[in-house]
Amino acid sequence: MKIRLVRSGGFIPLIKKAETETEMSEQELTGLLDLIQADPSAPRIKDGNSWELEIGERTTAIDPEKVPDEYKELFDKLKDNLKIVK
Amino acid sequence: MCKNHFNPIHCIIPPHMLDKLMLSDNKEIADLAVNSSFRSNRYRSDRAFFQASTDHAKTVLGVISGVTGPAVLQMSVYDNKHRTDFTHAKLLYDSTTNQAVTSKDAKNVIAGGKASWDFYFQLFGRNSIDNKGMTISQYIHYDRKMENAYWDGRRMVYGDGDGVIFASFTSDMDVIGHELTHGVTEHEANLEYSKQSGALNESFSDIFGIMIKQRFLNQDVKTADWLIGENVLKGKQYALRSMKAPGTGYVNHPLLGTDPQPATMDKYVDLPDTSQGDYGGVHINSGIPNFAFYVAAYNMGGYSWDKAGRIWYAVLTDESLAQDAQFVDVKNLSIVHAEKLFGLNSPEVTAVKQGWIAAKV
Repeated sequence: MKIRLVRSGGFIPLIKKAETETEMSEQELTGLLDLIQADPSAPRIKDGNSWELEIGERTTAIDPEKVPDEYKELFDKLKDNLKIVK
Repeated sequence: MCKNHFNPIHCIIPPHMLDKLMLSDNKEIADLAVNSSFRSNRYRSDRAFFQASTDHAKTVLGVISGVTGPAVLQMSVYDNKHRTDFTHAKLLYDSTTNQAVTSKDAKNVIAGGKASWDFYFQLFGRNSIDNKGMTISQYIHYDRKMENAYWDGRRMVYGDGDGVIFASFTSDMDVIGHELTHGVTEHEANLEYSKQSGALNESFSDIFGIMIKQRFLNQDVKTADWLIGENVLKGKQYALRSMKAPGTGYVNHPLLGTDPQPATMDKYVDLPDTSQGDYGGVHINSGIPNFAFYVAAYNMGGYSWDKAGRIWYAVLTDESLAQDAQFVDVKNLSIVHAEKLFGLNSPEVTAVKQGWIAAKV
């Protein structure tokens, strides 16, 4: 299944995206999204970045600091491959 | 979960009881409860926690010094070792010991932190970010190749940049002053980070950031370049923003395109209030009040902080400036404060009006 990481915001507001194919099941992805979902009540960080994970038609705001160790390599790879969307 | 400490208050007290204990008359219990609440909250969102904390809680946690003696700069600089959590950060510099540092990034943020503190204290008598002596906490080397700097309600955080498009975000003093000023704004008008009030929040940070740099470099309004982040964005023809000519910070950049900032209200960019919409274009429409300030300061002449800076600081700290203020509110307040500071028909009042006319607000 294809997943896409999106980073937006910042001192200079850029949108960057990266995607990869994973062998995770729908159930595993749903479980992961539940774990890493961003807190919607968190205050807006001045000049902060926001992160979203797009899976199919579904977009979920995430907090990368919540990513469990076993998925860190996947997220680091996605972060390393982020490209600017003009 | 509790293996690293041995006080029961840190381990087993449920949140609703901690809330009560934080209000305890017994200072030791109240302080332990604050610390325990902090630890618990940190895993959920320490940013949210700090913004919601009382001044007493912040004092216990060292965010506010609690010192009531003469105003003295208090600053700490940490190496975040390219991580995204702050628990492994290494202390590099503490103003109380003033030890030497070798890292260029550390030197940059120490110089920027000192220049910012001096600016606010020497010109306006303001004792740090909160006017209560808050320690200026700065974290460098955040994440890997992060192209950003931000203020999280407690600290200033800087990435190293990707090394291709962006250099380290510590490279420009105006960026450091910008982030510190987000803290000042949070403790004053606390402008909502959305649409026009968000663009004003960004604009105050640019305005005070540029004045901090100009004062450090002893530049007057004519010799200053009015560029924000000219060293952060690599390439000598580029900067992150231009206050003198919004929309020209970078033009036809091969990867970024062209700076989208408008200079005038008729070009206001209406964007959605989402992160991808820059919360309604807070970093984009800030070009409009930035340009008004530039024109006002330029027409006053001399040093930007001597006259225009005093007016804009009076606006920022005016209790009537609402959290959802619009551009026109800052326009009106800046005219009122120019009249109070310099006289009803003074050249400074005329210059302020000219600034807002130029920005078509």
